[in-house]
Parts: sequence; C-alpha cells; structure tokens
Amino acid sequence: MALLTVKNLTKKFGGLVAVHDMTFDIEPGEIVGLIGPNGAGKTTLFNLISGIVHADQGSLMLAGKSLIGMRPCHRSRAGIGRTFQVVRPFDMNVLENVMVPALTRTRDTSKARKAAMEVLEMMGLAEFATRSPGNLTLAQRKRIEVARALATQPKLLLLDEVLAGLNPTEVAENLPLIRQLRDTGVTILFIEHLMDAMMAVAERVLVMDQGALICCGTPREVTSDECVIKAYLGEEDPQC
Amino acid sequence: MDFYIQVLISGLLLGGIYALISIGLNLIFGVVRILNFAHGELVMLAMYGTFWLYKLYDLDPYLSLVVVLPAMFLFGVVLQRFILQPVLTTSGVMKMFTTVGISILMQNLALILWKGDFRAVQTFYSMSTIKFSGLIISIPRLVAFGAALLSIILLYLFLKYTYVGKALRAIVEDHATARLMGITVERHYLLAFGLGALFSALGGTLMMPFSSVYPTIGGPFTALAFVIVVLGGLGSMGGTFLAGLFIGVIEAFAGTFVSPGLKEAIYFVIFLLVLMVRPQGLFGMGRGTEEIGLK
Amino acid sequence: MKKYTLWIAGGLGALLLLLVPLYFKSTFVLHIYTLTFFYIGLTAAWNIMAYGGNLSLGHASFFAIGAYVGALLYVKLGISPWIGLTGAVAASFVGGMILSMPLIRLRGPFFTLATIAFTEVLRLIAIDWRDLTHGSAGLNIPFDLGWLNLTFKSGAPFYYIALALAVGSVWLSRWVRYSALGYHLRAAASDDQAAEALGVDFNLVQITALLISATLTAVLGLFYAFYSYVLEPATLFSFELFSLQPALNAIIGGMGTVWGPVIGAVFMTPLGEFLRFYLGTIQQGLNYVVYGIILIMTVRFFPGGILSLLTPLGVRFKRWIGDTGDNQ
Repeated sequence: MALLTVKNLTKKFGGLVAVHDMTFDIEPGEIVGLIGPNGAGKTTLFNLISGIVHADQGSLMLAGKSLIGMRPCHRSRAGIGRTFQVVRPFDMNVLENVMVPALTRTRDTSKARKAAMEVLEMMGLAEFATRSPGNLTLAQRKRIEVARALATQPKLLLLDEVLAGLNPTEVAENLPLIRQLRDTGVTILFIEHLMDAMMAVAERVLVMDQGALICCGTPREVTSDECVIKAYLGEEDPQC
Repeated sequence: MDFYIQVLISGLLLGGIYALISIGLNLIFGVVRILNFAHGELVMLAMYGTFWLYKLYDLDPYLSLVVVLPAMFLFGVVLQRFILQPVLTTSGVMKMFTTVGISILMQNLALILWKGDFRAVQTFYSMSTIKFSGLIISIPRLVAFGAALLSIILLYLFLKYTYVGKALRAIVEDHATARLMGITVERHYLLAFGLGALFSALGGTLMMPFSSVYPTIGGPFTALAFVIVVLGGLGSMGGTFLAGLFIGVIEAFAGTFVSPGLKEAIYFVIFLLVLMVRPQGLFGMGRGTEEIGLK
Repeated sequence: MKKYTLWIAGGLGALLLLLVPLYFKSTFVLHIYTLTFFYIGLTAAWNIMAYGGNLSLGHASFFAIGAYVGALLYVKLGISPWIGLTGAVAASFVGGMILSMPLIRLRGPFFTLATIAFTEVLRLIAIDWRDLTHGSAGLNIPFDLGWLNLTFKSGAPFYYIALALAVGSVWLSRWVRYSALGYHLRAAASDDQAAEALGVDFNLVQITALLISATLTAVLGLFYAFYSYVLEPATLFSFELFSLQPALNAIIGGMGTVWGPVIGAVFMTPLGEFLRFYLGTIQQGLNYVVYGIILIMTVRFFPGGILSLLTPLGVRFKRWIGDTGDNQ
C-alpha cells in the first residue's frame, strides 16, 4: 500500500487555482523530488498535505487513513513532518526547539531531551544545543528546521527547499543527509530548485506547473521530457 | 409610537458622536496598528479644554473648537512621536500596554489638576429644543450630529481624493508595500494619530453643551469606541459610522427599557459576540486583521 | 556546590519568612507581607497564560468568581470555605471555558480586549444582581472565629496561608514552565503555525493554560475574600487592583519567566502600598500617576523586566559560586 495517496487534490485562492486536480502516490521508503517553476504550487501542495491550508476538493490519505479535515497538529501526530521554506525557529535555544516536537511523542521532558539530543547529534548540531538559533548560520538553521521535523518521528517528511540559500560547500554537506534520513526509515518528499542536488538524490521526480502535475518519472526521464523543458524554458510550440 | 421614534432619534443623534470618536480610533488602528487604550482620555482632555476656555475666557464651546482642535491634533502628534514611536517595534500587546499607561497617567493627572467634580458648560442654547410634530429634538445634539456627519464626509473625501489621504489608505492596506512605494510611513503615523486625536476632540467638544466632564469619563468612551470599531469592521470608515449609529440607538433603547446598570453589559456582550462570530466586523473587509492577530 | 549554596540560601529565606509573624507584631507590616504573597500568587497565575503569549487584562473576573462563590456559599448556606473551594474552582473553570472561545479565535491585543469585556460583563451583572451580591454596597462575611470559617483573631494565620498560596502558585507555574505544556506554550507563543505543524495542539495548550490560570486565580480570590471580610464589586472586579496589577507586576519583573512575576510582585506591592498611603493621602491619584509612568518606561526601556537587568549579574554570580553552566 502506498504511504501517501493524493487524489484529485484541488485548491483555489479566489480566482487562482494554486493546485489543480493532482493525483499521485508515494511508496514507503521512497525519496521523491518535487520541482516546478516559481508559483507552480509546490509549497501550496505541502501546505495542503500538512494541513495548513485545507483542500477544496479531492482526497488525501496517509497509509490508507484520510487526512481531510484533520488539523496540522493531528496530521503531524499521524506521521507527517514538514519544514518551512523560510526557517521559523522558536524563540528558545536549539535543544528546546527540537524538544517541542519530541514532547508531542512523550510527555516526559527528560526522555524528550534525550530524543532531541539524538536528533541533534544525527544532524551534526549537538555542539550548538544551548545556543540561540538566531546566532547560527542559515545552513545550521535549516538543519534545525529538519531536526525539528524529524523529532516528530514522521513517516513522511516534507522538505521545502532545505538547500536553497546555502553556498556550494554547505550544499555538499547537507545533501547526504537526505539519503541518511531515508535509511532511518523515513519517506521523503522534497522541493528543490537545485537541479544537481535533485538529480543526485531523488529516485523519482514529480514536476508541477501552474498548479498541475505535468510529469512524473526518474530524474533522467523527467529532464528529457518535452513538457518539462517547456514549463521551464517557455513554449515554442503551443501544443504539448 | 411617538415615544419610540423619540427614543430612536435621540439614539441616532448620540450615535453620530460615538461614530465620530470611533472613527478616530479606527484611523489610528488602521494606520499605526496601535489599539489606543487612551482614546477616551483624548475625548476627556478636549472636554476639559472646552470647559476651561469657557470658564476662564468665556469662550463659546463651538468657538473653542478653533483652539481645541489644533491643540489636540498637536497633542496626538506629540504622543505618537515621543511615546509610541519608540515602542512601535514591540508586540501589539506591549504597544497597547503603553497606551494603558498613558490612559492611567492622563486620567489621574486630570484628577489631580481638576479634582473629581463634574464640570459643565451652561450656554443659552444648552436646553433649547425644536418641536416637530410631537417630537422634541435638542438643538445642541442636532448640531453635534450634523457636525459629526459633515466631518466624517470630509474625512472620507480627504482619504479618497487627496494624495496624503491615498497614502494613508495605502498604509492601512499594506505597510511594507507602502514603504516600498516611497511613502514616509512614520510621518503618516504622526498625521494619523493627530487626526485621530482631532476627531475625538471634536466629539468631546460637541458634547460639552449638553453633558459634563470628569476625570474618569474617558473609560466608557474607550470601551464604546472599541465596541463600535470592532462591530463596524477594522479599517472600514463607513462601517464605523453605521455601527456608531447602531450602538447609539441600542444605548437609547437599553437605557429606557433595560436596567440602566446592565446597559453597558449589553455593549460588551455585543463586542464579545462579534469578536467570536465575525471578527472582521459586520461591515469590515478583514483588512489588516491577519497582522494584528485575528484568525 | 551550586545546588547546596542555592538550597541553603532558599532554606534560610524560607525560615526567615516563617519567623516574620513572631517578630513583627504590627498589623501593617504583616498586612504588607500578606498582600505581597497574594500578589505573588496572582502574578504567577497570570503568567501561566503569558507563557503562551496571551496577556490577560481580565483576571479580576476569576479572582472575583472565586471570592464570591466561596463567600456566598459560606454566608448564604453556611458551607465552610474549605469545601467552598471546590465550588470556586468549578465556577472559574466554567468561566475559563467561556473565555476560551475568544481565546482560540483571537490573537494578541484583541484577546486582551476580550478579557476586559468579559470582566466588565461579570462586574455589571454582580452589581445588578442585588439579591445575591447586595449590589455596589457589598456583602460582609460575619465574624465567626475558627479555622473552618477562615476567620482568625490575629493576622498571623492568614500570613501563613498566603505564604503557602504564593509558594504553591510559584511551584505550579514553574512546573508548567518546564513541562511539555510549557514548551508547547512557548512554541505556540513564538510561531503558532510552525508549532501546529510540529504537532502542538495550539487550542488545547492555550485552553489548558487558561484553565489552570483561571482556577488558581479563583482559589486566591476565595482566600482573599476571607482575608478582607468585605465583598464589593468595585474592589473585587477592580481593573487596577486585580486585572492590571498582575500584568504590571509580571511585565516589570520579567514576563514569561518563573521568577520575574515574583520579583515584580515583591517590588511593586510594597511600593504600591507605600504610594497609596503616602502619595495617595497627599494627593488622590498621584500613586496611579507613578504607576502609569512606570508602565510606559518599562515597556520602552526594559521590556524584559527587572529579571533581564539582573541576568548579567546572575551570570557573574554563577561564575562566582563555581557554576560554569554546562551541567544543565
């Protein structure tokens, strides 16, 4: 059974159709990339899956259970973790930031502290545990964002441009993390603009344009697909 | 039947003044994004200004507007520039707490300077009325209503057609974008606060011929203005006007038919219900509501 | 090393506080202490909501609910206030549930306005409901000595009761701060959307904090009613005394921290009483002028409160007692 089943998902903002009739599945253990030009509706899709905005139509299922009508906190507890494109650390130190989601899995603060420390160690942030996120670099703050999502013990992790804004060295450092995360048993759907990164990590790529899913396949298939090229480079021929 | 119409009319006349005072609050909120807790104290100060000009210089309340309005405009500008501007970057609640401080300060300074007595202005027209097919209408109240209506229309035209007015509306809509468009946002804050104070002052002075002033009179006005602004919708001038009339009528009927002690309770219940059921107000567009924390 | 130093200091402080009523026979001194303890409790209770970023200006409502329920059960039905406590808690719980409706819809200053409106409605009802509350004139608790009636010959028993309430409130507030609820409240205050996405049930944690804060305040209100003997709406529902004062104490001490409210209450209560007795008699209203100025200045110059000014000292103190801060 697919981990995430999305069927005919549609969301309109006034007259703008942000997500239009999307249907796809994600299998357990996959690393799926999501690409598309700016304004294609990628982040809206994440917001729909994580419950920050509610769908107008369509169905969403996690491991066979419908998510429609569930609030974000309940979806998180059901197993959907996400990061935000613009990092949003809480006004507390790094460890406490990660303890917040850990405390949704246990009420015991010492257990949560231990769990948070483990996540921080895995993310290479242990030495910054007592620092304020405001004093860290963007790359480190993006790692906090991922660490927080991981501390919810997600089945499906939605990563929204965790590599954007990082310099090449930092990208190279953060990239293996995605594979490493999957190896711990998490299924990953990630938005990324950096094509190299996408090609290196994704096993399957979904391409969105103007709210719709226009293509889906392996990275190699996708890059040679005409519709994708047109979506990015503009059309020569109106028929697609 | 005539009795009901009489109550209705006195309610509407009262509501006009309430609308005037509330529009000041709405303007300050819309532009500066501060919930001005000291709003009623601005009304109080203007009322005292009118009273002392009458008492000391024998100046007619309506003539005193020439002095009171510019003075209160300036007072508003000074409050904004020296007390509120420095705390603009703090959270909405902290800004409100600053205005709570201003309110306590003004109220108690008034108590110290002018004692707790009720002060009233006695003019030859204070008690004059016109009779119209069995209805009795107080002339100063009618004048107040007319002036309120006129000034609200003027404000509307100012916001709609002048360059500065458009800039103010742009700020109401989106601070950041207004700034990017080259509008000197801080300077317009001063203007908005000054105008807000001016409108409350106008309301206060217009009331002097038929009511008295005392140091704690501001509290009920602040409460009323909040109820009206929330009911009419944040950022909606027309909504504020209608809501003002509505609350005036409610007050007139409640004062006649319900226990007078519970009159105020009715506003607050309306206030809570509106906030819970339709936080964007009855006529509001919900503009800016996201920013100040209405969901 | 550090632990011992702090425990010994704390123990000595507690011992001194226990001895105060034996040494000071002046009722005025005891009154100031007792009142300070009440305000420590009240501010700590208020602060539990502030962890979640919700600043109430309506805690007088819960205080008065506790006071009235406890006192009316005693005066009208002869029920001991110790049993009446359950009634006070239940009534404030219901009140808290009502206030939680605006709480989950409104943010920031608008929620604060809703708390004021809520309190005003209750105050006006209390004034109007003369059969029950005797209106503005108020109600006296009959003087009938005994532990069960919470009526004492000297001020000492209430000193100890208030001290216990203060310690209990601070303990509860500290417990909340370092529990899962506390972390979730702080996260919700910081970024509600991100918190929700990480599994924090925003509505649930905010309502829980409101209910804890409301019921604790009502318990304090009940004991205060028996301490002051007189129940009048003008006092119990007073905006200045029980809605603004706890907020002011917390802001001045350091909002959202465990010890800030304590510092604020310890600083402000004696100051307030001093101002009221000395300035207030010279000139009515002068004490509130000082309050207004303190509030404006605090928000402007040290929004973190006294605690934020003390923190640098605290760091030096920790270094001095040999705590390097890495054993947390």
